[in-house]
Amino acid sequence: MAGGGELGGGGGRPKRGKHSKRKPKKRLGFRIDMTPLVDITFLLLTFFMFVTTLTTPQVMDMAVPPETEDVEVAESKLFTVRVREDGKIFYNQAKDIPQPIILKELRTKAIKSNLDMKNELITVLKIDENVAYETVVNILDELNLAEIKITQVLQAEKLNRERKFTISPMTDKDKEEIKGL
Amino acid sequence: MPKVKMKRTGFVIDMTPLVDITFLLLTFFMFTAKFKSEADNEQKFQIKRPKTQADTAKLPEKDVAVIRIAIDSTRPSDTAYYFSVANPELWMTIKDDPSLAEWLTPERKEASKAMIKTVKIEELETLISVSRTQSKAFNITKKTAADKAQLRFAIDADKRIRFKWIADAMEAMRRTRQTQFNFVTDKQQ
Repeated sequence: MAGGGELGGGGGRPKRGKHSKRKPKKRLGFRIDMTPLVDITFLLLTFFMFVTTLTTPQVMDMAVPPETEDVEVAESKLFTVRVREDGKIFYNQAKDIPQPIILKELRTKAIKSNLDMKNELITVLKIDENVAYETVVNILDELNLAEIKITQVLQAEKLNRERKFTISPMTDKDKEEIKGL
Repeated sequence: MPKVKMKRTGFVIDMTPLVDITFLLLTFFMFTAKFKSEADNEQKFQIKRPKTQADTAKLPEKDVAVIRIAIDSTRPSDTAYYFSVANPELWMTIKDDPSLAEWLTPERKEASKAMIKTVKIEELETLISVSRTQSKAFNITKKTAADKAQLRFAIDADKRIRFKWIADAMEAMRRTRQTQFNFVTDKQQ
């Protein structure tokens, strides 16, 4: 048995009588005071626990189209999400008039539109240069979350999901379209 | 003579299991502890990353080139790109690449031990393409397949930064034909 505190008086044999002729038994086991060891170990333990950063940063996959000639796409297959300078989000499908939408509704909208068109829909994100990066990532996150759901539903229908997504620059024409809304 | 039970004033607790577990935890935390890299040490700014839910992949510790964009002064519009590569050996060869010599003057090289600061998008572009070619050249020297890893690119930007900075960096990626890259984010709790 190993334990701390020799002073406690746990050890030692009871004293024999004065006239005992038996020789004291040779001690086979011995005790080391472990208290300082435990102290230091706990100290080191707490130190390492505090310095370890358990939250490692994550990554979001992104892709940009390679520099090739412009590809012609049917406008009816486009799902455009525009973000205005003030952070307001607008969406429109095909040639519809852009509708304002809040971030929380974007996911359900993206899921619905994508499922209606199966794999045909192309999501285009157009962001004003002055919008905060956080807003952009939030939108991308919503679209990524929608993607999980879309893939699930399409897989249930034995379809492979092919995501078509792009970030394209916001032109003056785009700005004009969502100006007064 | 009947035995008289002595009243115990002190008692001993067997500490062995406690010590066992403590040592186990200690070794675990010692081995998992990661200390600040040189790049982190040189970094004078702090990046507040945007928070996301959908992302699950972790930022790799090596074979990654990170473009940091942070608010590093009092004016929110004022910032720069900070380019760094996680592998120290590769980083040295990138910095000595002759195609950077035009603008990476000795003084500037001295100031940027772990990361190169730049505001010019052309400089960022050359850095991206040089890193990729050097990484490929580096891979040829490696013997095992496990050592051969493609260099990944990540943009680590502050959430308050204007999107223009990101769009410009993305345009630089596109022009250097680096079509795949990552955004660095934090887990939403």
